[in-house]
Amino acid sequence: MINMILSGLLLVTGILGIVLSGNLIKKVMALNIINSSIVIIFIYQGSLTGRHAPIITGEEKSIVDPVPQALMLTAIVVGICVTALALVLVYRMYRLYGTLDINEIEKRIRDE
Amino acid sequence: MKRIIHTVLIAVFSVFLLFSLLSIDKTPDSAGDYLLAKGRDETGAINLVTAIYLGYRAFDTLGETIVLITSVSAVVFLMGGKA
Amino acid sequence: MKKTDILEVVSRKLSPFIILFGLYLITYGHLTPGGGFQGGVALASGVVLLLLCQGQSVIHRYFPLKKINYTEVTGYLLFILIGLAGLVAGRGFLSGFDMFMGYAIPGSVIIFILNLIIGLKVGAGITLICYYLFIEKGDDE
Repeated sequence: MINMILSGLLLVTGILGIVLSGNLIKKVMALNIINSSIVIIFIYQGSLTGRHAPIITGEEKSIVDPVPQALMLTAIVVGICVTALALVLVYRMYRLYGTLDINEIEKRIRDE
Repeated sequence: MKRIIHTVLIAVFSVFLLFSLLSIDKTPDSAGDYLLAKGRDETGAINLVTAIYLGYRAFDTLGETIVLITSVSAVVFLMGGKA
Repeated sequence: MKKTDILEVVSRKLSPFIILFGLYLITYGHLTPGGGFQGGVALASGVVLLLLCQGQSVIHRYFPLKKINYTEVTGYLLFILIGLAGLVAGRGFLSGFDMFMGYAIPGSVIIFILNLIIGLKVGAGITLICYYLFIEKGDDE
C-alpha cells in the first residue's frame, strides 16, 4: 500500500520535472527518475510472492518471482543507454546555442 | 498560466495513477513455481535471475547488447573522439 | 580544481579491489547474486574512479582506449558466434550445446561463458561512455 503510493509519487515527480522544468539536463534526470520508479514498482510487485532470494540451494523455499527482476535488468541497461545518449545530445545543443534553457533555444531557432 | 494548467493536469493524472496502482492484483506465481521446479535442470544455473537472463531470454540479452553498442558508438561519434 | 592527497591515495588503493570485486561478481554470476551486467558495471566503476582521481595518463597506460574499443566490439562478435555454435550443434540459436567432441558438458558452462562476455562488454561500454562524457577539451594530451 504505502510502497505503491511512494513509488507512484516518485513517478509523478519525474513527470513534473519533465513538464515544468526548463533545463534540459533536469529533464533528462527526470526521465531517469521515472525509469527508477518503474523499476521499483516491478520489483516490489514481484517480491510479494515469496520471501527468499531466487537462488535454488536444494530445499524448497518460497522464493521471490525472478521474472520481473530479469526484465528490470534489461530495463536498467536500456535506461543507462538512453540517458547517456540524451546527455550527449544535450551537450551538442549547448555547444550550438550556448544555453540549456529550452525556451531560449526555441526562441533562437525561431529567430533564425 | 501555462504552468498552472500543466500542474492541474498532472494532479488529475496522478489521482488516476494512484487508483490504478492500488488496484493491481497479486502477480500470479505460476512462472515462479515452474522456474523453481525446472529452471535449475533446464539451464544449469542456480541463480534463477541469471537462468532467465541468459538461458530462457538470451535472445533478449542479444538485443540489449545491440542497444548498448549503438549507444556507445553514438556517444563516441558525437563527442568527437579520435579512438 | 585542486586535488587532495586523500583522493590520490584512496583511489589508487581502492580501485584494484573494486575491479577484483567486479570480476568476482561476473565469474560467480550463475551461483550467487550478481551476473554479467552488475559485475561489468562494478568493473567500469573501478576504472572510472581511476580516471576521475588520477587523470587520463594512468588510463592511457593501463587501459588503452583502443583495447577497450576492441573488447566492446569483440564481445558482441563472440556473443553471436556462441549463438551460432548452438545452431551448429543442432539445438537452435543461443541454446548452447550439451556435447562437444564426444564429451558431455554441463549446461552452466554456456551461461558462464556468456556471463564473462557480457561482463567484459558492459564494463568496456560503460567505461567508454563515462570516458567520453568526462573528458575535457582543454586537457587531452
